[in-house]
Amino acid sequence: MKNITNSFEYFSPKTLEEALKLVSQFDKEGKDFKVVAGGQSINLVMKQGVIAPEAVISIKGLSDMDYVKFDEKAGLKIGALATHRAIERSSVVEKKFGVLAEMEHNLSSVETRNWGTVAGNICHGDPGGDVAPVLIVLNANVKMAGVKGERTVPAEDFTLDFYETALAHDELVTEIQIPTVPPNTGVAYTKFSQVVGDFALASVAVAITLDSKKDICSDVRIGLGSVAATPLRAKKAEEILRGKKITDDLLAKAAQAAMDESDPTDSVDASGEYKRELVGVFVKRVGKEALERAKKA
Amino acid sequence: METKYSVIGKPTGNVDGMAKTTGEGKYTFDMYLPNMLYGKHVRSPYPHAKIISIDASEALKLPGVKAVITGKDVPGGKWGLWRRFRELCDQIALADDKVRFIGEPVAAVAATTKDIAAKAVELVKVEYEILPGVFDPLEAIKDDAPLIHEDFENNINATRHIEWGNVDEGFKQADYVREDKFTLFPQAVVSMEVHNSLASYDKGTGKLTIWSSTQSPYYLQLGLADALKMREGDIRVIKPHVGGGYGGKNSTMPDATTAALLSMKTGRPVKVVFNREEEFTTTEHRMGLHLAIKIGLKKDGTILARECKIITDGGAYTGLGATALYLAGIFQTFPYKIPNWRYDAFRTYTNKVWATSVRGFGAVPTVYAAEVQLDRAAKEMGIDPLAIRRKNLMEPGYEAPGQYKVESCGIVPCVDKMAERIKEKWPKLEKDEGIGYAGFAYMSGGIFNWIDTPYAYSGARVQVNIDGSVDLFTQAADIGQGHNTVAVMICAEELGIGIEDIRLHPGDTATAPVDLGAWGSRETLMNGNAIKMAAGQVKQKLVDLARAKLGENIAYDLVCREKRIYLELRPERGYSYYEMVEAAIKLNDGEPLIGTGHYTPHNKGMISPAYGMGIMAMKAKVDRETGLVEAKDVLIVHDCGQVINPLGARGQVEGSVHMGLGYALTEEMPNDNGLVLNPSINDYKIIRQRDMPQIELLDVPTYDPSGPFGAKEAAEATISPTAPALANAVFDACGAEFDSNCLKPERVLKAIREAEKNQKNKAKAKK
Ligand SMILES: Cc1cc2nc3c(=O)[nH]c(=O)nc-3n(C[C@H](O)[C@H](O)[C@H](O)COP(=O)(O)OP(=O)(O)OC[C@H]3O[C@@H](n4cnc5c(N)ncnc54)[C@H](O)[C@@H]3O)c2cc1C
Repeated sequence: MKNITNSFEYFSPKTLEEALKLVSQFDKEGKDFKVVAGGQSINLVMKQGVIAPEAVISIKGLSDMDYVKFDEKAGLKIGALATHRAIERSSVVEKKFGVLAEMEHNLSSVETRNWGTVAGNICHGDPGGDVAPVLIVLNANVKMAGVKGERTVPAEDFTLDFYETALAHDELVTEIQIPTVPPNTGVAYTKFSQVVGDFALASVAVAITLDSKKDICSDVRIGLGSVAATPLRAKKAEEILRGKKITDDLLAKAAQAAMDESDPTDSVDASGEYKRELVGVFVKRVGKEALERAKKA
Repeated sequence: METKYSVIGKPTGNVDGMAKTTGEGKYTFDMYLPNMLYGKHVRSPYPHAKIISIDASEALKLPGVKAVITGKDVPGGKWGLWRRFRELCDQIALADDKVRFIGEPVAAVAATTKDIAAKAVELVKVEYEILPGVFDPLEAIKDDAPLIHEDFENNINATRHIEWGNVDEGFKQADYVREDKFTLFPQAVVSMEVHNSLASYDKGTGKLTIWSSTQSPYYLQLGLADALKMREGDIRVIKPHVGGGYGGKNSTMPDATTAALLSMKTGRPVKVVFNREEEFTTTEHRMGLHLAIKIGLKKDGTILARECKIITDGGAYTGLGATALYLAGIFQTFPYKIPNWRYDAFRTYTNKVWATSVRGFGAVPTVYAAEVQLDRAAKEMGIDPLAIRRKNLMEPGYEAPGQYKVESCGIVPCVDKMAERIKEKWPKLEKDEGIGYAGFAYMSGGIFNWIDTPYAYSGARVQVNIDGSVDLFTQAADIGQGHNTVAVMICAEELGIGIEDIRLHPGDTATAPVDLGAWGSRETLMNGNAIKMAAGQVKQKLVDLARAKLGENIAYDLVCREKRIYLELRPERGYSYYEMVEAAIKLNDGEPLIGTGHYTPHNKGMISPAYGMGIMAMKAKVDRETGLVEAKDVLIVHDCGQVINPLGARGQVEGSVHMGLGYALTEEMPNDNGLVLNPSINDYKIIRQRDMPQIELLDVPTYDPSGPFGAKEAAEATISPTAPALANAVFDACGAEFDSNCLKPERVLKAIREAEKNQKNKAKAKK
């Protein structure tokens, strides 16, 4: 590993207010600054010399924001400083949002999960991240704050392009909100990587809600990772399933649609063409798993 | 099991284990000296280019920069490990006329901090004239290919022709003949500890001390002597704990030469540490190669002849590549009797970082081809893959004319035990699962003397002090494989004491006798013999004294065991070890008891005094839709002679399987005109703990007359069978065939589709 070679000013605010002030002040001054939470992504790009900020604001000290809370009405609230590991080990997550814990279990190593935050993961805007596809199918919202106030955007609209998000330069993500999973709903996620815990060559999340007779698919959401410039919601594939009784044939059609919607590129590991095939395979498999879970839900 | 040994053969925790796991143990990486400077290389961005000029003036102006050196500052000449053949000593400290691969060092800076050194590197201006490069061995040998080293026509660095029996006649008599072609990819070494050295030159005495992450303090001493034009003895190499070598730390590398040169220039200690990208792009790796292999068999599966041709992608320099070329042939013949065998091998220079010995030392790619081909032949001939192997196994005393002789040889019982165990272990396979086999064998140290040492191959010195404590000195290198533990176990067994009685002083050229280092699985046998001899000398003194005190005749045997020296048949008659040591030293005019030992193999053929061997079975599952291959379960039946430390031996086997699985499944180094495309741990995929299969290891102990207490190799043999066993398991599961290693899912999916197409065509043809 290379070392970070540029020197920078270092700030460690203790409250959200202080942090927001710094962010807004530096933004106005036109200072080249970066926010760092767990540092699991940002340190890497600094080591590679991709960015060399003059100032670094560590928000690790905002301990008020390190929480995972749940109530039936409001759903799950993940504070900006909650780590991957906290999600993976939370008993309420395991009970109510099992798919999140499953996703976390295969996200890199324990070390990375101990440091990295869920919010930091989506703020990084990596289309290959594991968190976003799952948040998309869980209908999550991302809450952001600036000195001027707060706003919320749906997870599916949060990432705009490669490493680009809806977050303004003078804002921070404060919370991720996930509504309680509706009844008769099954959610599943699989990432495909050759080495366990590695970044995905392709990943698929599916949430299926069945009608009260557990027969017809009343709602469905499909999220794809690693196969486009952003995490993707496969809306055409969803259309094929919504309002229908899901069969293997129908899933195969949806899989084809998802393949068409995805736009993967070649990488050292695999061709884009192959990644597109993976989308097809996993929409079928994960769709089936979600359906089974919905039936049992 | 009741044994006559009280130390060896018992699972023993690593003697360095506590220090390493608590972080107390020091690696070169952890070391700092007062006043120390940091060295860093200016590296070539071009794979092949003439150096026109180097301007360091801006770098020298940067505050904190203490020196910049270029090729012109190197006092010595070229060096290499093939010192018996000086033309193959082609390495240089800093390129002075031209560069031959991307990342080759052309200059180096020393500065007060790492950051300043990094900035200074960017300020050194180098002007190049770009030359055309060549990147594939088949291109390199063409007449119009650019020459990488002036004196090597067609870029051929080394060749090998070995032949025994009558190969053409063998093929003529064969009922079945097949030919296959393979391309095997290179594999990076990726030691946890990067290459790094800390050098301290004393201008007053003209002597150099260097701490370095090396596999062989002695080789480093020789390499530095050539590079710096110094006397060997004026260079003291100290090897602290080393975080892995795997073959990549035999050559003297620029971390060491540059640290030394900069220290000599500045008079201050200088440390050079490679970063991970430098590891991937500028240090040695396992060779890639093209290979053609032909086998001829009788109907009943008896191998009559084999012919193998390889051309390897050697890269810019020699390293131990010329030896790997030899061993790639030799170990392809093991553990089978091949009456007629021919091998033609070429090593080419290319404009890439160079290939060398890497765990398995040449054998890994060629064993892959041979074992995979054997399964294809078996399938076509309708013979069970284990049965075809059983049919052709070596037996004790087997000789390959002019090359090697195998003394202890447990391969037949190994395969028989495997056949039995398989039935219980895997009575039924799931859908898309398969089992693959591969046989293996490997040397217990090499006999070859390319290094041209006048010394014994291994030496040791034992000093027993008045309180019975022992100081054991040897240059033998523990690089993580556990030799320090093996060394003290052998010493303790011989003296009949405990390992806690021994203090080991390893890896220091100034205090310990020469040992050639940790490569070719040599330390247990070769250094073990030297230690046993040294300890044996002291033991003899103690036994003689005890005998005299007991007043016994020479006909009665005494043993040293469990800190007593006593009559073997009358254990109650004897003395304590401590009592005898004290008496012996007092009798000896107060001098501690000293024993010296050494070992060099004699009359053992060309390769090795002894061979570890066995058979591996792998169960794998294939995902027909994605091509993902999962290595599920491994069974190994192993003959490594008398096992010294069962824990260590198991660790070595697991490590070999781990590296072998990387070779089989995930590790490759895609290269674009000399540029390594995945030079990071993120992009270069290494098998992790969660990907590892279960490994069951069964022993078939033998006694090898060449080994200390009958011990032989256990560290490398099991890497070679891993990839072919995996490929054979996939072949068994779905018929997919591969002409390379690294079965990445995309590759596997393609092969599965090919196999399905072929099966359909065949079915059609039948109709
Ligand atoms: C070895 C390794 C393997 C990995 N494997 C995977 C994997 O398999 N799958 C996967 O999804 N991820 C993986 N990651 C990435 C990692 O999980 C996440 O990117 C990480 O959790 C990010 O969180 P962090 O707190 O470390 O963010 P940081 O690195 O501190 O920050 C990341 C980015 O987010 C911004 N940021 C962070 N928090 C906030 C906030 N509250 N408000 C506004 N901006 C913010 C930062 O400015 C920065 O731009 C891996 C990382 C490593 C090092």
